[in-house]
Amino acid sequence: MTGFVDLYTEGDTVLHRMDPRVKIFAVLMLTLLILMISSLVHLLILLAFIALLVALGRAPFSKVSLALRFVLRVMIMIVILWPIFDPSGTPVLATLGPVRITEPGVMRGITNAVRICCLATVWYVLMFTTPQRDLVRALVKLGVRFDFGLTLSIALRFLPTFSATVESIKDAQRARGMEFDKGSPLRRSRNYISVLIPTIISALRTADTLSLALQSRAYGARRHRTYLRELKMRASDGVALAVVVAAFVMPAVAKFFLKVPV
Amino acid sequence: MDPGIALSLRDVRFRHRNAKGWALDDVSLQVRRGQFVSVLGANGAGKSTLCMLVNGLVPHTVPGDLEGVVEVFGADVAEDSVAKLSSRVGMVFQEPESQLFCMTVEEEVAFGPENLGVPADEIKGRVEWALELVGMAGYNDRSPFSLSGGQKQRVAIAAALSMRPDILVLDEPAYALDPIGRVELYKVLRELKEKHGMTVLLAERDAEEASLYSDHIVLMENGKVAAQGPPKEVLADPERLVSLGISPPQMSEVASLLRSRLRSPDIDFTRVEDAERTIIERVLPAGRGAAR
Repeated sequence: MTGFVDLYTEGDTVLHRMDPRVKIFAVLMLTLLILMISSLVHLLILLAFIALLVALGRAPFSKVSLALRFVLRVMIMIVILWPIFDPSGTPVLATLGPVRITEPGVMRGITNAVRICCLATVWYVLMFTTPQRDLVRALVKLGVRFDFGLTLSIALRFLPTFSATVESIKDAQRARGMEFDKGSPLRRSRNYISVLIPTIISALRTADTLSLALQSRAYGARRHRTYLRELKMRASDGVALAVVVAAFVMPAVAKFFLKVPV
Repeated sequence: MDPGIALSLRDVRFRHRNAKGWALDDVSLQVRRGQFVSVLGANGAGKSTLCMLVNGLVPHTVPGDLEGVVEVFGADVAEDSVAKLSSRVGMVFQEPESQLFCMTVEEEVAFGPENLGVPADEIKGRVEWALELVGMAGYNDRSPFSLSGGQKQRVAIAAALSMRPDILVLDEPAYALDPIGRVELYKVLRELKEKHGMTVLLAERDAEEASLYSDHIVLMENGKVAAQGPPKEVLADPERLVSLGISPPQMSEVASLLRSRLRSPDIDFTRVEDAERTIIERVLPAGRGAAR
């Protein structure tokens, strides 16, 4: 387990200033759009548009490349595996025993790889430009119960803490002569029990204190709690909302009512 | 009911559920408004249980048998809920890491007043006030995770203060801190006592700072009160403190040493300045006499 990386980077771009509720809605709309479009060309155009959003959010190169490295791996897997399991259509490009590779199969593989790339990047744009607290706050404002929002934010908040705990336990075990990467795969996974058990115990202890701390800070004292910072929609948020809805509705109408292939 | 009394324990015993022994056994003590009271004892002496009694975590969340009377500003702890008591009793725990759970320092400090339904404008003022007081102004948007141990504990104090409590309870707040963090923490506690007249109940294992700031000290051993009284009196015998698992203040160790070496039982000090004067007045002349 490596150190946990928060994708968010502080900034003052249009995307940073946008109301997180609008951003979540926009990402959901774009997700639907990506799932609806089946033409490779249109998906590529969409991908270019999303790349523009990434640029607009001024995400630092290090985080973008970190995120893309993961997506790229998935894309390569899809491009290789898809034609093998989807051999319908002609012309057949190659036959290897029972495996048949066809041209439409390859095309569908590429299309879906691009689709996955679009999906991932759209959500990355959200993560790049929205602090976790705003995401949670937006969810609570959209009707998620405060308890659930708090649970989610505590989970996100403690990720780096537990990641650090795991690292220090691993170091402690290494100092006692444990070699994590030696031996058979079974041996290696068994080695990790010596990390797992202290980690769980430490997590339970933390949870115990956490519950005492939450109560000591008047958690649940009143049915209606107030909020220091309220989310405010601005005119620019309205514009963004309109653009996103149009971007989804126009191709949807074209596809389902006018029967235009998109 | 005397309104000057912040906290009062009378013949209190507490046994954790399924435990054999008493975690607290026949404890009686009183904290007056504006007093700084320290509870000193080793691990397992009952300090944490005592702290958690004050805001009702014992017996409401930590179950067990409670006997005797615990009153916080005249209200019986056994009858009030933790949520209700928490607006009067600010609580700071040992572990800096697990008592901070928000994404930013500002949210952390605002969490209590938000739960209490305080209007947003007032919360803003309280957050700034509390962060200023603990010397963490300007850290609003930082993640608590990224702070040093001493800074985390000061944020935890600010998070308790923002609820405007009448008494602040700290359970070994310096436990996980390095020497610098410790100094920073006690600077804040001292300021709370001297400038703001805050009522403080502090649990500690090290008597060093307690000897300087406390109006009253309670020594605990195995759930019982071993001694209590003014710091000078209670901390006079460093060997006894060590036998109770408490680190004695360095000055009282020096005083004790001088008492036995010079065979003068009247030597007694807790501050460096007094130690200096005693040494100049009594040790140096004696040394000169011996040299001649």
